[in-house]
Amino acid sequence: MAASLYAADPPGTMRRVELEGLTLLYHRPSGLTHFLAPPAPQILEALAAGPASPAEIAARIGETFEIESEDPAAAIAARLAELEAAGLVRRA
Amino acid sequence: MSDGSGSAEEEGGVLPSRRVVLALGAAAASTVVTVRPALAQTAGSVLNCEIPVPAPQSGAGQFIAADGSLVPAGTAGAYPPLARPLKGEEVRSMLNSGRAPAGVNGEAAQAYANYIRRLQAGMSGFTCYASLQMPR
Repeated sequence: MAASLYAADPPGTMRRVELEGLTLLYHRPSGLTHFLAPPAPQILEALAAGPASPAEIAARIGETFEIESEDPAAAIAARLAELEAAGLVRRA
Repeated sequence: MSDGSGSAEEEGGVLPSRRVVLALGAAAASTVVTVRPALAQTAGSVLNCEIPVPAPQSGAGQFIAADGSLVPAGTAGAYPPLARPLKGEEVRSMLNSGRAPAGVNGEAAQAYANYIRRLQAGMSGFTCYASLQMPR
């Protein structure tokens, strides 16, 4: 079974402010503001390159960061569920 | 002290690249907190709010292209402005299930839906659209 692909709105639809380890993000299409902790901002950055599966997102993040997780794809899937519930990510 | 190869690099001005460690967290951890503005909290007010298509201040008389952008009146393949604003309830069912409002054909409804998705803060109808978007 193929893994679900996830997509996010383009970076231009969001206003981001970094706050000492947290990211304050205003999502223009919904008018909602979110506080994000790592790795949520990094997941959105990874999705800026286009829709991806949890494993592909982990690979994209791995190009920049040293990932610390026993099961990156499962951890990213859990973070994606949160981002999806917040309206920041959707199934592609 | 080690074998000194690291200090030699540093003396030459070449620092080894250090990759930042990113912990992905446990499945039960929470990394997203959403702040919801106190817009139209009751279902009734959400469903009764209105969205003009297009907003009078930005697009009076302009047509709406299939992608939702505003184009000059009469542009081929674009749709004329709606004579009346859409109700929140109509917009919700149009965005969620693709159901066209009364008197609007399906292709035109898709263009109007795309226009609404492009609404930004400060434009007529944005607050209504934002309220419809809010997760319950």
